Amino acid sequence: MGKVIVITSGKGGVGKTTSTANLGTALAMIEKTVVIVDADVGLRNLDVVMGLESRVVYTSMDVIEKRCELSKALVKDRRVENLMLLAASQRNRKDDIRPEQMQDICEKLKEEYDFVLIDSPAGIEQGFHNAAAGADEAIIVTTPDLSAIRDADRIIGLLQNEGIEPINLVINRLSATLVRKGNMISKNDVLDILNIDLIGVIPEDTGVIASTNRGVPLVHTDRSPGAEAYMRIARRMIGQRVPIPDMREDSFLDQIANWFSRNK
Amino acid sequence: MDNAIVKLRGYKDGLHLIINPKVSLNEVETAIHELLSEMNQSLSGTSIQIDMMTTPLTSDDLKELETHLTKSYDLVVSGVNVLDEKDESPILAAPTTHSISQELSLDTPTHVENAQVVRQTIRSGQTTACLTGSIILYGDVNPGGEVIASGDIVVLGALRGSAHAGANGSLSSVIIAMDLVPLQLQIGTYVNRPPLVQKPRGYPEIARVGAEGIIIVEEFIKF
Ligand SMILES: Nc1ncnc2c1ncn2[C@@H]1O[C@H](COP(=O)(O)OP(=O)(O)OP(=O)(O)O)[C@@H](O)[C@H]1O
Ligand SMILES: [Mg+2]
Repeated sequence: MGKVIVITSGKGGVGKTTSTANLGTALAMIEKTVVIVDADVGLRNLDVVMGLESRVVYTSMDVIEKRCELSKALVKDRRVENLMLLAASQRNRKDDIRPEQMQDICEKLKEEYDFVLIDSPAGIEQGFHNAAAGADEAIIVTTPDLSAIRDADRIIGLLQNEGIEPINLVINRLSATLVRKGNMISKNDVLDILNIDLIGVIPEDTGVIASTNRGVPLVHTDRSPGAEAYMRIARRMIGQRVPIPDMREDSFLDQIANWFSRNK
Repeated sequence: MDNAIVKLRGYKDGLHLIINPKVSLNEVETAIHELLSEMNQSLSGTSIQIDMMTTPLTSDDLKELETHLTKSYDLVVSGVNVLDEKDESPILAAPTTHSISQELSLDTPTHVENAQVVRQTIRSGQTTACLTGSIILYGDVNPGGEVIASGDIVVLGALRGSAHAGANGSLSSVIIAMDLVPLQLQIGTYVNRPPLVQKPRGYPEIARVGAEGIIIVEEFIKF
């Protein structure tokens, strides 16, 4: 029996879809069986980010309305073993689906797959409730700015009310340079407020945008800081103890200076 | 007794500005400026008394200080008390601000001793309320979260959201937090909106209604 993890944020555009695509791919690369589910009905884009758009024939709506079997609606990612996508209907609206129906799909999927990752829409309305309905655990994605943190805090409260546990945190788009200059909220400030376990920090990485546009998740292609950060999170998700490296908040010269003073 | 140059205290008969014995007028004015600009509420129109140990300032200095307080801060100086260094001034010796503010309460409700313990962080969009007593919270109150109690509110964490103590109208209720950096404080019917950018001061603080019906925030030492 696998587990269902909802990837959610409250605020829009903070990296839920990017994280779902990369973590799904990364988990499959370390030999887990994975389904990623787009729960952003009406604004689907997980299939686009995955580069699988042209191969989507059926969506979760077709499964719910019994036009096709669940297994037939899953699109296989040919670049890696055991990675499937369940797309969302683009024609429907978020309240065309009821939480029990999502729950039903999740129950069935986790019987056969190790990980079921749900890409949640932004907001705290029906779409969010549908995405969280079948979830055992949650990953909150936030960026280090006050409004994203405030929304994440709101979402954490709602998930806790649903008894979803554990709730882990991904801080996305952290820029060490900006933190150092005092222009960005630091990792510790975010943790101080949200007070949940950190599962990873993704740096600001221009590679993310390029990979989004090519439809190839970052973890496939390069050893960029973003790809490595997602690989480490995937390993933590399967229970490996991988330390979270401190982002270098010191400049290169500071580091050299530190090195000398440490080795005196 | 710490040796701040000037201090502001709320007592039964109103606000007192306490001036340290051994300083010049210049130092006093600078210290007043620092003190008042740090305050989270304007004192405009408030009447105030000046307490000094054996005049550090000449009577001319004192006149100048009075005009300065009136002109720059719109304060009404209602009296000057020169205290003899030898006799322990009753005001300076006053034990704790909290017990004084209790005496001062106008409505003195039948005292509520009931307290509810909450072991949870109050997150954005969440409210915890106790309308039959005080709340002791083992956790933080985050921005957008709210705690309401008819009695006192004690936050054993950071208070970053809103707190309303004395929700039944009791002005003697207090709010105490390990880190008091709230979006809004309310005691009884008095509301106080602190400045937007606040840094935790690294010590617990207490908020209460002082004389003149303003919410005073200061370091919490003991009851
Ligand atoms: N670490 C990063 N570095 C740089 N750009 C990033 C990073 N993470 C995400 N982005 C960019 O931010 C944009 C939004 O990302 P994404 O679509 O994953 O967010 P989302 O939370 O799913 O948004 P929505 O709420 O609309 O569903 C994309 O253009 C993506 O390329
Ligand atoms: Mg998305």
